Amino acid sequence: MNAFLLTGIQIVAVLGISPFTVGLVRMFKARLQGRHGASPFLPYITIATLLKKQMVISKSTSWVFKIVPFVVLGSTIFLVCVLPLVVFGGMFASLGHFIIIAGVLALGAVFLVMGGLESASAFGGMGASREMTLASLVEPAVITTFATFAVVTGAFTIDAMFQGAHILTSPALVPAVAALIMIALAENARYPVDNPATHLELTMVHEAMVLEYSGPYLALLEYASAIKLTIFSLLVANVLFPLTLASNLSAAAIAIALGFVVVKIVIVSFSLALLESVIAKMRFYRMHEFLTIAFFIALSGLVFALMSISL
Amino acid sequence: MDINFMASVILFSLIGSLISAFFSFVGKEGKQHKAIMIFLALSTGVGAVAGMFFLLSGQTQWVIFQSSWIFGAPLILQTLSALFFVLLNTVACLASIYAIQYVEQYRNIYNVKTLDSLMAIFIFGMQGVLLSATPFSFLLFWEIMSLSSFFLVMADKEIASIRAALFYLIMTHLGAGALLAGFMILSNGSFLESFTRLAFIAQQLPPQTLFGVFLLFLFGFGSKAGLVPFHVWLPEAHPQAPSHISALMSGVMLKMALYGFFVLTLTILPPIGMVASMIVIALGLLSAFFGVLYAVIERDVKRVLAFSSIENMGIIFTMVGVAFFAQSQNLIAFSHAAIGAALLFAIAHAFFKSGLFMGAGVMVHAAHTRSLEAMGGLAKRMPLFSGAMLILALSAAALPPFSAFAAEWIFIQNLVSELSAASLLVQGVFVLILTLVALVGGLALFAMIKLFGIGFLGEPRSEHVEHADVPGNLISVPIYILAGLSVVVAFCAPWVLRVIKFNDLSTADGLQSNLIASGAALNPLYLFLALVIAIAAVFVLRRFLSDVKNERPYHTWDCGQPITSGMEYTATAFSSPIRFFFRMITRSGKIVTVTPIVETNTWIASRVFSLELRQIWYDWFYVPITKIFLRASTAIRRLQNGVIQFYIALIFIALVLTLTIAI
Repeated sequence: MNAFLLTGIQIVAVLGISPFTVGLVRMFKARLQGRHGASPFLPYITIATLLKKQMVISKSTSWVFKIVPFVVLGSTIFLVCVLPLVVFGGMFASLGHFIIIAGVLALGAVFLVMGGLESASAFGGMGASREMTLASLVEPAVITTFATFAVVTGAFTIDAMFQGAHILTSPALVPAVAALIMIALAENARYPVDNPATHLELTMVHEAMVLEYSGPYLALLEYASAIKLTIFSLLVANVLFPLTLASNLSAAAIAIALGFVVVKIVIVSFSLALLESVIAKMRFYRMHEFLTIAFFIALSGLVFALMSISL
Repeated sequence: MDINFMASVILFSLIGSLISAFFSFVGKEGKQHKAIMIFLALSTGVGAVAGMFFLLSGQTQWVIFQSSWIFGAPLILQTLSALFFVLLNTVACLASIYAIQYVEQYRNIYNVKTLDSLMAIFIFGMQGVLLSATPFSFLLFWEIMSLSSFFLVMADKEIASIRAALFYLIMTHLGAGALLAGFMILSNGSFLESFTRLAFIAQQLPPQTLFGVFLLFLFGFGSKAGLVPFHVWLPEAHPQAPSHISALMSGVMLKMALYGFFVLTLTILPPIGMVASMIVIALGLLSAFFGVLYAVIERDVKRVLAFSSIENMGIIFTMVGVAFFAQSQNLIAFSHAAIGAALLFAIAHAFFKSGLFMGAGVMVHAAHTRSLEAMGGLAKRMPLFSGAMLILALSAAALPPFSAFAAEWIFIQNLVSELSAASLLVQGVFVLILTLVALVGGLALFAMIKLFGIGFLGEPRSEHVEHADVPGNLISVPIYILAGLSVVVAFCAPWVLRVIKFNDLSTADGLQSNLIASGAALNPLYLFLALVIAIAAVFVLRRFLSDVKNERPYHTWDCGQPITSGMEYTATAFSSPIRFFFRMITRSGKIVTVTPIVETNTWIASRVFSLELRQIWYDWFYVPITKIFLRASTAIRRLQNGVIQFYIALIFIALVLTLTIAI
């Protein structure tokens, strides 16, 4: 029962704060660029408005187009259920094997890709091709990063990994965390991989795929990408500060954990906005360099971890 | 049920294949096609059931047929061969049902009589390979299998098919020659010795000889399994065969090579040691990487699948190699687990790859070409069929919760958990395998989504697809069954592992059945349910929060000018980033010719794009060998000068030389 309630709290907290995360990044970015920017709560209104709007469905599409939003959001919610985001030891934590996490991330990505191809326009195809490239080439970095955590902590679920991963006592995790941050940028289509703010065919990946979606379907997809951003923000923060999570059901622990969620989201959002304001987007055809660097950083982490064990 | 009865059922399924071959051959031109395919489906179907019965009975050996003067030792069924026997007969049964209507469509291209007959002989050969217990019968059935499939590859009598078939014939006979030599050394020349006796002889051989024997067998089985660099025939031969034959060749015949390799390394040879296992791992990883890379950039739907088979066999052989490597490092539990993972992957592969090849037959029939560039839009026209193909493609991509994922989970879980305690050398090998398997997994995802996305989604890229009909029931139902099996194998993975006697990899207890890998447990059913419930919850919530009927159809946003299917992304364009990133390896030749239309403005021009996909193994390995042989034979041809005394002298010299070597 405890585990069930803990997971419930986590789901409500993450699903509730996700649009705020996106709004906050946009606001920080606007401020850094000298604009006033919209309220961080605007995405809630956007999603609510989209849910009410009429949908325009392209005649080129088939049944696949219609299941994409559900699979993408569903797989993202699955991740919220199994990962340690607000609490440790949730009900589904035992399903959080790192290979499953990598697989479910890929599952969401491929359905999004299929949605892009369904539109039968060059935009959709372009976004699909790019996203598919990123999703497939990021895989070695993801597996190597989590393998490092597994070696250091001796655990295989992300939940147990993060409980045992203390970055101060095992410095081999530093490259792993760096790789995790690079993976997070690639998975969430942020700088330097993708520019989330444009609708220009030269730069876009994620936006190009969802171009043909409108109304409630677009709401689902936008919400899914907001949740994914929140998941990765919290993951990166939690691996650095694992003590900020609740692991029992006492009111105090939960309140502290929830408070920390807001603090972590604010800090990560600001860092992301700062990063996106100071670096440029990379050319897509140089993306393999970024992903190769991520992979080699992860690999060096794994090598350090193995060395530190055998020494 | 009585064991003798079930054993005779298995014998019946063997004889059934022979009978169908015979009646098809003597019958009138294709008149009994339907009856023969139904009979073949029945005989293979009961064979599958009997094989399943054996696996469930928990016995270790059934004698199927005893006759000391034909094969030396009796034909027997054991756990390993029974597993492959069930796979073979299941796929063969479905392929026969599929063939009923599929072959009808191409009645004027294929000679139906010989096609059916050869197919039955092909199945008979594979059944025989699995039951053999002596080198003689093994090689006999192996040859029946190879030769019948050689004729099947050129069933449509096109030049390309004949070339592919001849290439296949050469490669398969080089392989068979290696097997023959290997068995010759092991059995001291007496081919009627049983495999148990061979194992005894092998223990007395010096290690160098054993290593040589191992290399011979590795080449023999590796060339059949399509391991790089002996794979070049596979992407030529498999696509040229009719689709149900491609399904049998890719889904099952490759497994025969795997089975042979298992028999040799697990039951005949003593533990093969570290160096030999590293050779297997190297070949496996090389195949997986090259296979998947070409699966990504190929544009012919059946070639994509053929390359994907090379990749899958590469992964399986990597797992097998790791098993032997672990054995040589005294990691016995891991060794056992890796073999379990390889077998589970092989089961998954038999189902999804046969299904995909049969589905490719439907796609090719709809588009009138094998090129993906002419497909698209099939999902709208054949919703159910496309759903089955999506499941098969996602299984092939090893995504959770589908079948191949369970195997990869067991393998990677074990690999990572062994990392920390291992020695430096082992760590290095394991890290290399881990990263390459992850890379291959990512690219396999790309290949499969390209296949499905370009083939089924969006607008049709050709007239033919525009008017494509839904495939007939007899064609689509086998594909649905294979898609269903891919899902069932995923849920029942713990149970499947119990049946093939890998009890340490699973706990089977109703709904609580878990996969076990080095202490970690995973319930595949719960994983599936969790994903489905999450998706269903979104579906239900959306119905509460918004009006479902509030939508209208309209064309895709077109920037103000009409949009045509020519503006869609093609398979070439879709895979272009990967081709670009790996251009050092693939060496594909891209040529864009620009001809200005208006002289004053160079931007208004017509552009012709051509892309040549080259295979570096072919260019750099096989072509030079061919050249050397051609040059040598041109030089030797001078001997042919028409002087009869000279020829007699040559014969004499040859005889003396042979005798000297023999003595």
